[in-house]
Amino acid sequence: MKSAVKTNFRGLRALVVHADDINRQVLASVLRKLGLIVDLIDHHEDHTDHDLSQYDVVFVDADLNNHNATRYCKLPCIALIGTEAPSQLTRVVRQGCISHILKPVRNSGVFTALLLAVNEYERRQQIEREITGLRQRLAGRRTVTAALLKLTTTEGIDLDAAYQRLRADAMTRRIPVEEIAREYLAQDPCAAGTAQCLGAENNVHRSQTTTTNRRLTK
Amino acid sequence: MEKQALDIGIVISTTGSYGAIGQSICAGAQLAMDEVNTDPATPFKLRAVMKDPGGVTTAYSDAVQSLIVDQKLTHILGCYTSSSRKEVLPLFEKYDALLWYPSHYEGFETSDNVIYTGAAPNQHIVPLARHLLNHHGNRGWLVGSNYIWAWENNRILREALMDSGGAVLGERYFPVGETDLGLLAEQIVRDRPDFVFNTLIGDSCYTFFRLLRAAAEAAGIDQPAELPIASCSLSEAELPLIGDAAAGHLSSSVYFSTIKSQENARFTASWEQRFGHLGHACADAEAAYIAIHMLAGSIARAGSVAFADVRAASRGLKFSAPQGLVTIDPENLHCCMRPRIGRSTSAGTFDILYEERGPVRPDPYLVWASATQSDTRLGPDHLRVVP
Repeated sequence: MKSAVKTNFRGLRALVVHADDINRQVLASVLRKLGLIVDLIDHHEDHTDHDLSQYDVVFVDADLNNHNATRYCKLPCIALIGTEAPSQLTRVVRQGCISHILKPVRNSGVFTALLLAVNEYERRQQIEREITGLRQRLAGRRTVTAALLKLTTTEGIDLDAAYQRLRADAMTRRIPVEEIAREYLAQDPCAAGTAQCLGAENNVHRSQTTTTNRRLTK
Repeated sequence: MEKQALDIGIVISTTGSYGAIGQSICAGAQLAMDEVNTDPATPFKLRAVMKDPGGVTTAYSDAVQSLIVDQKLTHILGCYTSSSRKEVLPLFEKYDALLWYPSHYEGFETSDNVIYTGAAPNQHIVPLARHLLNHHGNRGWLVGSNYIWAWENNRILREALMDSGGAVLGERYFPVGETDLGLLAEQIVRDRPDFVFNTLIGDSCYTFFRLLRAAAEAAGIDQPAELPIASCSLSEAELPLIGDAAAGHLSSSVYFSTIKSQENARFTASWEQRFGHLGHACADAEAAYIAIHMLAGSIARAGSVAFADVRAASRGLKFSAPQGLVTIDPENLHCCMRPRIGRSTSAGTFDILYEERGPVRPDPYLVWASATQSDTRLGPDHLRVVP
């Protein structure tokens, strides 16, 4: 799904980490015109005072080797670049900066850098969430397979029926299939008594036959 | 004692595709210079050094380069289109010169080397979008010339229509100068939108007005009443060029020649006397008139013609303009101006239908202003009215 591109940054909180010079002054004045709330600090100031979670965007001087810089990659980060040397630009990449402004900072260019950073960061966050979800599902697949196999043996049903049962349970209880699978596996059928265990063993043969029959009928 | 003469550059296209507007801009500047020069309280005289780039974008840099570098001028009144302004901005920044820009534009710029004396987007398209939503409906047809002015205004209007649950029935762009618009006019008449929003410029615009009127009449529709065309830039200077179909069109502007005030009575009287052959006074002419008065006021206040001194002196400067009190915003160097909606008449003027209660602060990045007032996120701060 395409979400709307954000073009208004009123009320966003910006942290600018740069020495107090004309670049920082111009940047701060443009950001304020754009409706942002701006905090200014020098790169050598103690960053522990600045809880980064309160900021929506951060501007970092790329011309200095900033030890705190890696902390900024949790935010949309915009590099302020004076010298375009590979050593510095490598750092900009490592810090995860997603936009930049060339120095000397001018009035034009700030809006573009901010717009790109905020929207690109949002897009990356979305991708990140998708990847996390997919990874979890991938990790859960082994559990689901194991649970399905177990169901076919304990209940004497085929794989399709077993999967239908898992999904139906998951939907009624509104939890992921992977979670249900984990619960199924946690239940030790033998703990409930030998009879069931034996029954389960009988079912193995039955289920194999049914499975074959089913497959044939399809 | 002879007053000291100060040379002011004027880089305006009085020939070329938008030469008619350029002539009005120069006329407005000329009127202001004459007033400044005959005012005994002003300790200097302004002298214009004119350049005509003929509407050719690249010719603007040569003109500005020659004025700033060869003639050592610091203050230039100039440019009409945004492309020409973007073309010369680097020169002004490089040489610490100040551009006095006398035109409404689409915003999203705040250069420290420009004083903007025309309307910002919250002073033209936002009030127009609001007026259309309140009085005409939320189903629009958007037609424009294919460049930034049209794209940006259409974006703002499109968002306003979407926010209010309306619809864009059609959106088309044409090359500047295109006049083959007959099929477009017929399509629009068939679609019957609540209004047409026009950002065509020059000949395309005038031709479109005539064609839509004709197509509507052929379909038995009273075009001005049932299918109104609204524009942000239609001015008195252009009405004669539309011809028979010139009456009944909506325009959003901070100035119309029909404003009733002492200042405007004086302004239009001198205009008719000296420049009546150009048609009635228009917004761009008034913006140039304001720019020259503001420039003179800033120089007088600064006691210097130096770039930084004059710019500092201009912040917050006020002038009783034909449209009412105009103030240069100290932060973004645009002007506080009073939005109005007018409807063109067969006499080549506009009837003023609506006006803001007073001057509205410029919001070039549309941080605070939005067309849909019902949007509570905007809060009470929205469209800040300067007392």
